[in-house]
Amino acid sequence: MHNRSRISNLLFILPALAMFCVFSVYPFVKTFQLSAFQWDGVSKSMQFVGLNNYKDVLFNNPNFWYSMGAAGYITLLALIIQNALALLLAVLVDRGVKAQNFFRTTFFLPPVLSFIVVALVWKWIYDPNYGILNFGLTGLGMIQFQGFGWLSEAKTALTGVAVVHMWKGFGWGFIILLAGLQGIPRELYESASIDGASVWQQFKRITVPLMIPTFVVVSILTILGSMQIFDLIYGMTRGGPAGLTHVPITRIYEYMNNGEFGYATTMAVVFGLVLLIVSLVQINVSRRASQKI
Amino acid sequence: MSKLTRGNSKFAISGLVVFSILLAVTSAILTSCTSKEKQKSTDVIIWHWMTDREDVFNELAKRYEKQTGIVVKFETFAPSDAYRDKIRAATQGNLLPDVFSPLGDDRELAAYVKAGHIANLTKEMESGWKDRFFEKPLAYSSFFSGNQWDVEPGIYGVPIDVTSMQIYYNKGLFKEAGLDPENPPKTWPEFIEAGRKLRAAGIQPFVSGFGEGWLAGAFVSSYEWNLLGKQGVIDTIRGKLPYTDPRWVRLLGLLGEMREAGMFASGVATMVNKDAERLFATGRAAMAWNGSWGVNVYHSMNPKLNYGIMLPPRLPDAKYPLKIWGGGASSLNVNAESPNKDKAIAFLEWLTDDEQQAFLAQETRNIPANKRCCTALSPVLREFANNLDITQDRLPITEDWKVLSVKFTGMQSIVADYKTPEQVAKEIESEKKRVASAR
Repeated sequence: MHNRSRISNLLFILPALAMFCVFSVYPFVKTFQLSAFQWDGVSKSMQFVGLNNYKDVLFNNPNFWYSMGAAGYITLLALIIQNALALLLAVLVDRGVKAQNFFRTTFFLPPVLSFIVVALVWKWIYDPNYGILNFGLTGLGMIQFQGFGWLSEAKTALTGVAVVHMWKGFGWGFIILLAGLQGIPRELYESASIDGASVWQQFKRITVPLMIPTFVVVSILTILGSMQIFDLIYGMTRGGPAGLTHVPITRIYEYMNNGEFGYATTMAVVFGLVLLIVSLVQINVSRRASQKI
Repeated sequence: MSKLTRGNSKFAISGLVVFSILLAVTSAILTSCTSKEKQKSTDVIIWHWMTDREDVFNELAKRYEKQTGIVVKFETFAPSDAYRDKIRAATQGNLLPDVFSPLGDDRELAAYVKAGHIANLTKEMESGWKDRFFEKPLAYSSFFSGNQWDVEPGIYGVPIDVTSMQIYYNKGLFKEAGLDPENPPKTWPEFIEAGRKLRAAGIQPFVSGFGEGWLAGAFVSSYEWNLLGKQGVIDTIRGKLPYTDPRWVRLLGLLGEMREAGMFASGVATMVNKDAERLFATGRAAMAWNGSWGVNVYHSMNPKLNYGIMLPPRLPDAKYPLKIWGGGASSLNVNAESPNKDKAIAFLEWLTDDEQQAFLAQETRNIPANKRCCTALSPVLREFANNLDITQDRLPITEDWKVLSVKFTGMQSIVADYKTPEQVAKEIESEKKRVASAR
């Protein structure tokens, strides 16, 4: 009877298991397999190269690591500025400002827009010839911005893209942080207030410690989302000028588009490992911080 | 308990049945997507990326059906990147249509040929078909003996129309800056001087989609032939002439000279060609480096635009003739494994015949691949067609795409005043060595 029960249980999970194997496990295994081959995506045969692709990606491809740095820069800005803004707005909405629903909807509007649409809209805003940003700045008397190419100047291109990424992404952080804030019992604030704690002390001693699990989730989502940025870059700069806005995914796409499937897959595996390590470090650091508090 | 278990098993089995049905339905839908494309009512299916030619292709397919009873279906997939991805995916799934194009460089075309996906059309072409084409586009659709990919020599593509690149200039803006619109610059110093005058008159002198990289490469390539000659270009690709050679530094420095003269329109370093075309068509830039397809694009954006075309102004001290980028064509390839191969070839032969090519050229404002149909072209297009003789020859070897990528990126760096030509030359050479060592 026990066996029959087991079989019926297995039958229950079989559909989901089959889907998981076909759409997750198989591609995952195939990715590793492909990374050990040289393949143009067309030929019927592949050439086994062992770990040569890994050796080249790790030690002989500075452009890939530069792109990792560019993604790291965008991620750092997003972690600090985007999440600080998201937290500030979440706290304000949580404190009961008027028209909460309006703010919630407004702040969550950018994340629901398509990346390509956002890229095209912002490209137009930044446009040196037609863009409203330069039009507005020159209208305010800042004549030096007339015809200024925010996305074509080496000094501003990457930050220009990062700003759009933060604008597009802060709504996610806002919603998650707001949910976290609303999960904190109000009584804690009331008793702290009765005990004479200031708003800052309440924030520091109640909000921050209880929000650490939420901060961890938000920061991991920010890291993963920012490091994997692609559509915005592709829509706005295509990695230019001078490759300064290339990120790992655009480099991987570039290699795939040029028929280097094996090598591109190796880059993807290395990139995946980097993300895994960063996420583990992040979880570890947050756990330690939480224990200290 | 046993009842519950029996109930569970029944439930699980019915769940499994439902899942199987769902899987079957999904598979049926998925396979119907492909079989729909290969339905019996259609004889030849052509996948292409040329959105501007969609209506004309459909009209020609209708005419062909009327004449022969054979149904040809053109299916458009754009942009070209998405088209290439679709072709690759179809290759893996063995779902390639009867006619398509890999849209890549020679290396990619060679991969398709060697994998048996593209038919060798030499036999059909030798029976007189090839005589109607310009020589260059046919050469770009062929592999010659001793090619670096070991492809069997032969003709593998059918050119539909030809492209080449020149500089468009706005006659009105030239006049405004005190330049003679009927006598555009012919040498490099004159070109730079014209740029300075235009800038002084408050006009953006030059625009192109340098954000796409290859357009900057195509511009400089004219001067590569001018300064190094064909052999010099080949020697560079073969690694005999380093990119750090002073002549290469000078070639890269041409972009620096243009930048210093204030010639580039704002944002050129990341500008895609569509935006560059809009800038020129709306009179916000006086000159545009663009292909012959621009004639159709500018007409659709601003039919009243008064412009002329000029060759890239030659370097006065250069030893070799200047050769412009182009001569290649939008060409189509026949699926070697298609059961409709013969029908597809017959249709392409009809499509490239005089009447159809003239119609195509007239309606889409492109240079036809059929050299007998150029009389019906507009003066500007005729000039483009006449200059096909001075387009760059097909080389027996091509540069590795990674080296080209660093080269194009480096050119953007010079345009953006981020790196010097010397730095860029070093980087290209270092990439060349890196690629060679990885081999």
